[in-house]
Amino acid sequence: MKGVFIPTGTVTYAIKGRNVLRENGYNAEIRRITGDLQGVGCGYGVFTNADLETAKRIFRLNGVKYK
Amino acid sequence: MIYLDNAATTGKKPPEVISAVNRTLNELSYNPGRGGHSPSVKAAEAVYSVRKKVASFFAAKGAERVIFTPSCTYSLNFVVKGIMHRGDHIIISSMEHNAVYRPVETLRKMGAEVDIAEVIFGDSEATVRSFKRLIKKNTRAIVLMHGSNVTGEIFPIEALGEVCNEKGILFVVDGAQSAGLIPIDMKKMHIDYLAVAPHKGMYAPMGTGILIANKDIPFPIIEGGTGSQSALPYLPEEYPERMESGTLNLPGIMGISAGIDFISKKGMDRMYRAEMGLVDRLYSGLKKIPNVQIYSEQPHLYKSLPVLSFNVKGKDSSRVAEYLNNKGIAVRAGLHCAALAHKRLGTVTSGTVRVSPSVFNTVADIDALLSAVKFMK
Repeated sequence: MKGVFIPTGTVTYAIKGRNVLRENGYNAEIRRITGDLQGVGCGYGVFTNADLETAKRIFRLNGVKYK
Repeated sequence: MIYLDNAATTGKKPPEVISAVNRTLNELSYNPGRGGHSPSVKAAEAVYSVRKKVASFFAAKGAERVIFTPSCTYSLNFVVKGIMHRGDHIIISSMEHNAVYRPVETLRKMGAEVDIAEVIFGDSEATVRSFKRLIKKNTRAIVLMHGSNVTGEIFPIEALGEVCNEKGILFVVDGAQSAGLIPIDMKKMHIDYLAVAPHKGMYAPMGTGILIANKDIPFPIIEGGTGSQSALPYLPEEYPERMESGTLNLPGIMGISAGIDFISKKGMDRMYRAEMGLVDRLYSGLKKIPNVQIYSEQPHLYKSLPVLSFNVKGKDSSRVAEYLNNKGIAVRAGLHCAALAHKRLGTVTSGTVRVSPSVFNTVADIDALLSAVKFMK
């Protein structure tokens, strides 16, 4: 799947984020942040085929915090 | 043994709860949110599904505001110690459990102002007035238990929630005795923080607690690994991880889920009415025994919980409980970890005998207790 990755930090927001994207008709899956991508250490995020702005808009609308 | 100490923890757990715990240990013994591997994510998803269920059960702001703790006492400590700044004022009721009383006394030593509002038995409006009289400019929070673990009386949460909402005061509710027995709607009742003991009225395993924090907690008292943002020397800002350092009790959490399903299947109101029927029978029976003093108000639907305290005149409560234990009946004696309540009732030296049925008790259990008390020498 081609797409974008949105770091959420915590697994709870990754699950919530994936769920709301799927509810909106997009493919989405949880991924672990394997490296220290943002200087904060490990974490989680959502990989989705939605475009970045759409995914962020859906997150904001549903109270999903992202980095 | 006839077990009538369900206000401490429900003595019989439903088979569904036991199965859920066993299934988790057998099939899902992975650390939730502590790795990128599928089992860990699967466990995290299971936890998230329970957060959603709990949030819906209590009309919470969202699944991420549901925090799992080791007990309701931890939940209350987390919130009471986590929201107060030096110089803030907090008001608690004269019936609070030590899980509230002791933390606020510690806060007092650290510079907080603490007041105790007198609960007026059987008069909700007067109780609310007691709280209102104590509100000051620096009042940060009010803490009130939903129902007494000593007398069973239900306190005016909704009315006090409105007062807190109007005045911008944080409202903390101890739902240890009421959750699972009567509905708690955080939104409707303007509850900012709800502490729950799922191993009581929700029939979950011991070692479980819930804190629902609709508002933030600036000062978490436990810090440690959260499975994310581990390079930082401080906790993540996001809930619930901010409040859940360390490995979660996944078997217990799945037990909470099964407990909610059990209540939903049986019907909360039906269960509550059945238990209240037993307490009503107990109250009527004890009234006929001349040397018995009852400390609870006459049981009344949605004004009291299925908890009743009494004493046999001239006898220490622990002696009565010991006698009943020898007759095969388990009840609780003493102060029930609620010294404030006993000061209010005038029973600090004697304690009380507390009886608390669950949905698994029967009329025969109550009649056996009444008969034993009647013939006690």
